Amino acid sequence: MSGEASVDRERGRTEPAGRQVRPRKPPPQPFTILGLAGLVAFTLVTAWDWALGIGFDPLALPGELADSNPAMVEGLFNVTDADWRAQYVELLRTHFTDPDSPWPLSLDSRIGGGLVETVQIAVLATIVGAALSLPLAVLNARLGAPDRVTHAVVKALNNVNRAIPDVIWAALFVVLVGVGALPGILALTMFTIGVVVKLTSDVVDGIDRGPIEAARAAGASHAAAMRTALVPQILPAYASFSLYAFELNLRGAAVLGFVGAGGIGQAMSYYWSQLDFEAVSVIVFVYLVLVVVVEQVSISIRRRLG
Amino acid sequence: MIEFEGAEVRYPGGVRALQGVDLRIDDGELIVVVGLSGAGKSTLIRAINGLVPLTSGRVTVGERTLPGLDRRALRELRAQVGMIFQSFNLVSRSTVLNNVLMGRLHHVPLWRSLSGLYRAQDRELAMEALELVEIVEKAYVRAGNLSGGQQQRVGIARALAQQPSVLLADEPVASLDPPTSHVVMRYLQQINRELGITTLINLHFLDLARAYADRVIGLRDGRLVYDGPAAQADEAVFEEIYGRSLTADDVLEGQGGL
Repeated sequence: MSGEASVDRERGRTEPAGRQVRPRKPPPQPFTILGLAGLVAFTLVTAWDWALGIGFDPLALPGELADSNPAMVEGLFNVTDADWRAQYVELLRTHFTDPDSPWPLSLDSRIGGGLVETVQIAVLATIVGAALSLPLAVLNARLGAPDRVTHAVVKALNNVNRAIPDVIWAALFVVLVGVGALPGILALTMFTIGVVVKLTSDVVDGIDRGPIEAARAAGASHAAAMRTALVPQILPAYASFSLYAFELNLRGAAVLGFVGAGGIGQAMSYYWSQLDFEAVSVIVFVYLVLVVVVEQVSISIRRRLG
Repeated sequence: MIEFEGAEVRYPGGVRALQGVDLRIDDGELIVVVGLSGAGKSTLIRAINGLVPLTSGRVTVGERTLPGLDRRALRELRAQVGMIFQSFNLVSRSTVLNNVLMGRLHHVPLWRSLSGLYRAQDRELAMEALELVEIVEKAYVRAGNLSGGQQQRVGIARALAQQPSVLLADEPVASLDPPTSHVVMRYLQQINRELGITTLINLHFLDLARAYADRVIGLRDGRLVYDGPAAQADEAVFEEIYGRSLTADDVLEGQGGL
């Protein structure tokens, strides 16, 4: 020790007794440099106005915004105009009240009925989809599947399911079962399964395996062991993911009407084709309120599930 | 009766956890298996219910012999052998009663276990098992809310709900403090004496082994190095089993600092 200390003194440096050496900051990894360069190149190639590019010019954006259809803009959000505001309130009144009904709120109109149907689609799709998701989530995890073949098949099917967007599912089901709420429910059921199975089965890998060993040691079958030792452990996460899927479904259900799968999207596409942008604006506004309220409720429940 | 004949277990990594073990255990015995960690105690116990398969040799439990059982026969064997674990292995989110009902799973139709609608007779057996370890008042409490000693008693009740003829306990007190350890050991002894269940307990505290066992089995590097009455298992014997001189860590009463 004393020998080392004297060496330090000769070098004219003071070092702590432990002789710690601060490392030099390592240079960035080649992967990082190449990755960033590639990202920039890819963005430019895609955005540039040439054979393989889409021709996106951020500098022209203000001009394009100013060039928009004045009828649409005025219909959608001319909030500063008193006439527009009066008309807006009148629209809300005609769509959501019924002079013959004693209730302050009526949902019989095209917009009101569409809203109700959207919520119904989201609720039913979430309940059916989530119910099917629990067993599938167990099978989708290595630990939960009874054998490798079942695991591989379930995983492959769910990967295919998730690769298909909900609007495509809706279009497919419209072809299969016809126009209406049913194809919407079926499409969002598939979407719910995709989301809930994936997220829940990821939780399975992190659970305590001790109870499963205990169930096996008691002579339980695989299915019984999973039900009693595994499912209770993943239940809070599963419930939380199901509520999250409901929030996604409520938003997803809004656009399904454009392909004929029911809900508020159908009313929206109708008024759009009528060039009645004020009605479109009412739909967007009312729907926004609905989604925000439902999401807040859902989030507060999910926080309790923690 | 349990009988090991030339039992060997070699793990995929090449570790030989059991080597040429020949052992005969009569009905109703209370046996404590001692040895350092890694000596093969857990493997020996898990070979009896097939949780660890033998790579050669045989183990006979009652009228069934491993290996060579199909899945159904293996589950029947396991139903007859209760098991208690070092870390309790309870579902902490489930109630005590539901944990104990796991001991009935072999005898319950699948639709009942999936739906959770257990028969009254199965609930009754679970409640009786909880009464035996004097913790029935916690039946509807979440298992995770109990203390370690209480959780291990629930673990014992779960094994008893199987109505087993053999009870295996893998380091049942290693996660408990000394007074609680004695409580759990006394329950195991009482179960062995009063219900006549053949009991094998893995331990590494020699004073506990001597206090509760009828017969002590010593393992070292996967080999049987001692087999004799507990009364004769003195310090020299334990030094022979452990292959070193004894320290305060080898006796429970030396763990006061915990």
